[in-house]
Amino acid sequence: MDIALETKDVTKIYRQGGIEVVAVEGVSLSLEAGMVLLIMGPSGSGKTTLLSMMGCILQPTSGTVRVDKGVVSGLSIDLLPDIRKKYFGFVFQSFNLFPSLTATENIEVILRLKGWKKADMRETAVGLLDAVGLKQRAGFYPRDLSGGEKQRVAFARAMAGDPAIILADEPTANLDSKTGNSVLELLKDMAETFGKAVAIVSHDPRAEALAHRVVFLEDGRLRQ
Amino acid sequence: MTTLMGITFSTLLTITQIGMYFGFMGNATMIIRHTDADVWVASKNIQNFDFANPIPEDRINRVRALDGVESADRIIVWWGFLKLPSGGQEQVQIVGFNPDSGIAAPWAMIEGDAYDVKGGRYMIVDKTSEQRLGKLKLGQVWELTGKKFKLVGISEGIKTFTTAPLVFMSYNQSKAFFPANTATYVVAKIKDKGRLGEVVETLRATMKDNDVYTKGEFVYKTVMYWTVQTGMGMGFFLTAILGLTVGGVIVGQTIYANTMEHIQEFGTLKAIGAKNSDLYKIIFTQAGISAVIGFAAGSIIILLLKDLIEKVGVTLYLSFWLFVPMFFIILLTCLLSAYFSIRKVKMLDPVMVFRG
Ligand SMILES: Nc1ncnc2c1ncn2[C@@H]1O[C@H](COP(=O)(O)OP(=O)(O)OP(=O)(O)O)[C@@H](O)[C@H]1O
Ligand SMILES: [Mg+2]
Repeated sequence: MDIALETKDVTKIYRQGGIEVVAVEGVSLSLEAGMVLLIMGPSGSGKTTLLSMMGCILQPTSGTVRVDKGVVSGLSIDLLPDIRKKYFGFVFQSFNLFPSLTATENIEVILRLKGWKKADMRETAVGLLDAVGLKQRAGFYPRDLSGGEKQRVAFARAMAGDPAIILADEPTANLDSKTGNSVLELLKDMAETFGKAVAIVSHDPRAEALAHRVVFLEDGRLRQ
Repeated sequence: MTTLMGITFSTLLTITQIGMYFGFMGNATMIIRHTDADVWVASKNIQNFDFANPIPEDRINRVRALDGVESADRIIVWWGFLKLPSGGQEQVQIVGFNPDSGIAAPWAMIEGDAYDVKGGRYMIVDKTSEQRLGKLKLGQVWELTGKKFKLVGISEGIKTFTTAPLVFMSYNQSKAFFPANTATYVVAKIKDKGRLGEVVETLRATMKDNDVYTKGEFVYKTVMYWTVQTGMGMGFFLTAILGLTVGGVIVGQTIYANTMEHIQEFGTLKAIGAKNSDLYKIIFTQAGISAVIGFAAGSIIILLLKDLIEKVGVTLYLSFWLFVPMFFIILLTCLLSAYFSIRKVKMLDPVMVFRG
């Protein structure tokens, strides 16, 4: 299996007003193409912190993160946006769609950010919406989409530009169980059909059934 | 929307102020600029065109005697009162010129000819004076400071700073209102324009109790008087700056509020991989578009209001070359205002996107 992302002994210590919070401590794990990794754990156990470091949004206090076999921890902050742009697609708990843009435009914005030519964007965006079963909603604004549909658009957007890694933080938390289910199916699809390396944070028991691998965080450490 | 209103307001205020300033200055120097003379000889310490003391009229001989001078004329600029049909009277500004040479004659004639004032108590009045004097018609006889004058011509758009109606007549007739053997100005054309400085220097040396100016110097002197010495220029300037500042603050505030409103989206873009420079581009583009639309709206309103403003008697000087630099000033103001939002976005940590 292709290892898309690897963490080695990553630790994050937040310092705030003289108090140190060890949010993540000595976590080593790897993420492979075509596989869904589920990160579970109680609230405050450091799941979001870990995911943010995996996604090169947050710099670890110590330890290393490798993406595509290159070490990214310790790189200048200025270089991280380009790495995120190239390797990652993100899905957020509250969808984070751009409300003033249609479903298609939400995807096109990302393509443009990734340097695509205008002419190619429309077709690709509609294709991605088709892949998540929303071709009929291409011209809809987020306010006219249901929660499940919004999250599907968010998935399509995460796939835009074909990144190797998809990271999702509690993607079903704001959805009812039925739509949550279909969104989870979609995640699995992204790994198995499109060969993405997928990592999700979720409390959803159904996610556990569907993931290829599950890790538990407790007080910032992996429970073996 | 508020952004646009702020910019529109700024544009409106600054351009009217500057337009009015140029309008006033244009009027204040209008006759100097339109008079076909290279050199102006006036009383000592003259401040501006409208208020000059009498000088001996035979100074013309000294000017004529000079080698480089091609021709010279005398002008009287003085005050009088026109008796209105209603019985009241209106203060007017008299310009006496030589109809044979046509120097300092009214230039924008819509009825009659400047030459028609020759040989009698004839006068030419400007159309814009109708507001004060009532309807003007050729052949009318008016009483000017006790003397009857016949209206033989009407000019259009000739004004001075004082806004008093202008009454043009022959130099000889205007002497009747003025101290004996004096004139207000002696003006001269010189033979070789390249030797202008030299001629002016000689005149200054030979006429120590007079002020001698080139046309450009006299225009400048008059403009500086109204701008600096009366403080009027400062007034316009401050109002214009105030307009820009108020507009800038409104624009800055609204762009800032707008940015904060969309801060979550900026965070999302950052998380996805947008660089700060990408986000700056978005904010500056918004500011730029607002500047263009707001400026266009403000400019259109001014052009629509121009006639209305001028009806009140205020000249609004608007030209393409006023709008072009004003646009860049407004644009700059908008971009500067956007700078406060830039700082907020720069500090934005994309980690926020995972935190609800
Ligand atoms: N910016 C920060 N500054 C200080 N402490 C922080 C910061 N962010 C997170 N923490 C702390 O780090 C710990 C881990 O937080 P994190 O958000 O990663 O947990 P989580 O597992 O995602 O929790 P939840 O399930 O509630 O989302 C918590 O104790 C939290 O209070
Ligand atoms: Mg969390």
